[in-house]
Amino acid sequence: MRGLGWSLRSLGRHRLRTGLSIAGIAVSAAMLLDMVMLSGGIEKSFADLLLARGYQIRLTPKGTLPFDTEATMSGAIQLVTSIRQTPGIAAAGAVLGASLYGRRRDSLITLFGYGIQPEAQALYTIISGGDLSPTDSLGVLLSLPAARVLQAKVGDSVTLVGRLDPQVVTAAVGRTLMVRGLVRWVYDYRDQPSVGTVLPVMQSLAGKRPGDQASLLMVRAAEDSAAPAVVTALRKRFPQLEVNSVADLVREFKQRLVYFRQLSYILGTMSLIVTVLLIATLLTITVNERLGEIATLRAIGISRVSVVREVLLQGVTLTAIGSALGIVLGLVTARYLDSILTSFPGLPAAFSFFVPRRESLTRAALVLLLTGSLAALYPAWLASRAAIAEVLRAEAA
Amino acid sequence: MATLARHWAVLLLVFPAVARSAAAQLPGVAVERQLAHELGLSVGDTIRLGPRPDTAGTLVTISTIYEPRADPAEIAKRERHLRMHLPDLVALLGAPDRVDRLSIGLRAGISADSASAVLNRSAYGFRAYPSASIAAESSQTFRVVSRFHRAIAVITIVASAVFVLCIMLLKVEERRLDAAVMRFVGVRRRTIFGALLLEAILVAALGCLLGTGLAYLAGAATNAYYRRFFDTVLTFSVITPGIVWFSVVLSLLLGALAGALAAWRLVQTRPLVLWGRG
Repeated sequence: MRGLGWSLRSLGRHRLRTGLSIAGIAVSAAMLLDMVMLSGGIEKSFADLLLARGYQIRLTPKGTLPFDTEATMSGAIQLVTSIRQTPGIAAAGAVLGASLYGRRRDSLITLFGYGIQPEAQALYTIISGGDLSPTDSLGVLLSLPAARVLQAKVGDSVTLVGRLDPQVVTAAVGRTLMVRGLVRWVYDYRDQPSVGTVLPVMQSLAGKRPGDQASLLMVRAAEDSAAPAVVTALRKRFPQLEVNSVADLVREFKQRLVYFRQLSYILGTMSLIVTVLLIATLLTITVNERLGEIATLRAIGISRVSVVREVLLQGVTLTAIGSALGIVLGLVTARYLDSILTSFPGLPAAFSFFVPRRESLTRAALVLLLTGSLAALYPAWLASRAAIAEVLRAEAA
Repeated sequence: MATLARHWAVLLLVFPAVARSAAAQLPGVAVERQLAHELGLSVGDTIRLGPRPDTAGTLVTISTIYEPRADPAEIAKRERHLRMHLPDLVALLGAPDRVDRLSIGLRAGISADSASAVLNRSAYGFRAYPSASIAAESSQTFRVVSRFHRAIAVITIVASAVFVLCIMLLKVEERRLDAAVMRFVGVRRRTIFGALLLEAILVAALGCLLGTGLAYLAGAATNAYYRRFFDTVLTFSVITPGIVWFSVVLSLLLGALAGALAAWRLVQTRPLVLWGRG
């Protein structure tokens, strides 16, 4: 504690320069924290999103990723039945994604439609009302934006039409369905008007009934640890399909957002360099100014180790104060930066780039403290090498 | 009005196939360079294309290998494309007379906005957009990235400003003894202040010069790295004269400000204190 007091007093002698250094360290620490959150946040947020309902495996048409193209696979129900019978699988469900229209008075509103199997779905959570039953071919689920644009609430009827033919100016198919519930679709982007029906209804609206088409199959392994083995088995069994675990999809997503990860590494490194330069410069000049004082302390018997420890402690003190301010600043700026990046078109509303986690905060703090200590090594070495007699003679002159 | 239809789909190269001699009557496809490279294809080769892996596929011949237009929106997806005549593609997909979109060229003097409005008035099952609004919509991603870059730039500028202020302050304070000696020998405060300020500006100018050089090097390294990483000719880092001008002016101003502040403090301090005996 005496050492800390000495360090604080020493730093307090030059308030302006110490204040500026702490401000610099705080901004650098904020940047570092943001970049640590960005580098791990993308991965974490995407994995959380995919695992929101516990389904660890996705099957899609060969060469595609979920909802990346409009490609579909045929024989969906047969595939699902076959998959459900596979050992180690707890649940499996098919999903069809398609564009369709909602009729409101004389106008048509473009909607996104999900065809689902309600008994095995990983796409939504109920906000109000009820769920569809597996055989409910007269019900529909709406997202809040869809309910808003269709001006519908639970219990109302809505008319959905599909396959519009511009030449004869008519829809090939139309269904009037009752709103069973309002839901939050996990993968919807902000304000996306989406509706959900049981799979056969959506297939009919989208013209995908022939061949029993689906965009995606979602599979939940009984145990998380068994998921890789299930993926391998499914790949062997369905070579005509793309089988991906959440880890595979996260890897692919990371690849697409590689730019942000690399940017986070570069900016994080620059923040550390700025911190090192600030601390090293400040302490070196301080040590040079206080060489006489250090030589006097050494002359009255203070050990070299104590002097080194005091200088290192000054570095750590500066870093600790700067980092504490930096963490607060970092969390504020992360929210702002996240609000910018999450406005990417087509990105799920629940996705986040900057995810504050205990591990990322701890890692950033430890890296900063280590950096601060390392930056103080050179000035500490200078202080330890002060030639006592020479310095005292020069001071006396 | 000239009309061009475009249709796209996920196609699978079922397997590279047969002898070149039979290729003459087959439909031709244009394959992008990266795809040709990855599959070891060259002009004249024959391949089977199918909409699904379990189909036998249709034989086509590679008539062209083309360099795709560099598109920043596509590079991260690493999708591979080939192009074929519309009738060949719809035949392959079994979706006759269906397209995803139509491109319309207007006669000179007709505005795209008014033509779109006219089409949309009677539109059923389609929607007309002027190219400019599609471009604006598809550039949304880059506007977001640009906003993010600006926000990061502001944080970086704040960090750099504090760094420059701190370093310049320390640099001037390092001259305490010199300032004391000058005061002892009768040099006027104003002269000392001017000398220290000039020194600070010179240091800031030198830093600007080095920083600009470093920025160009970093920019070149960024472009070289990402061009290789994404196999593209896109430019990722552009250092415009405006950016250099802004950075130089800001650094000089901050350097001068910090120098002036430190020099003012120094000349206001008694010489004995500066000498360490006050």
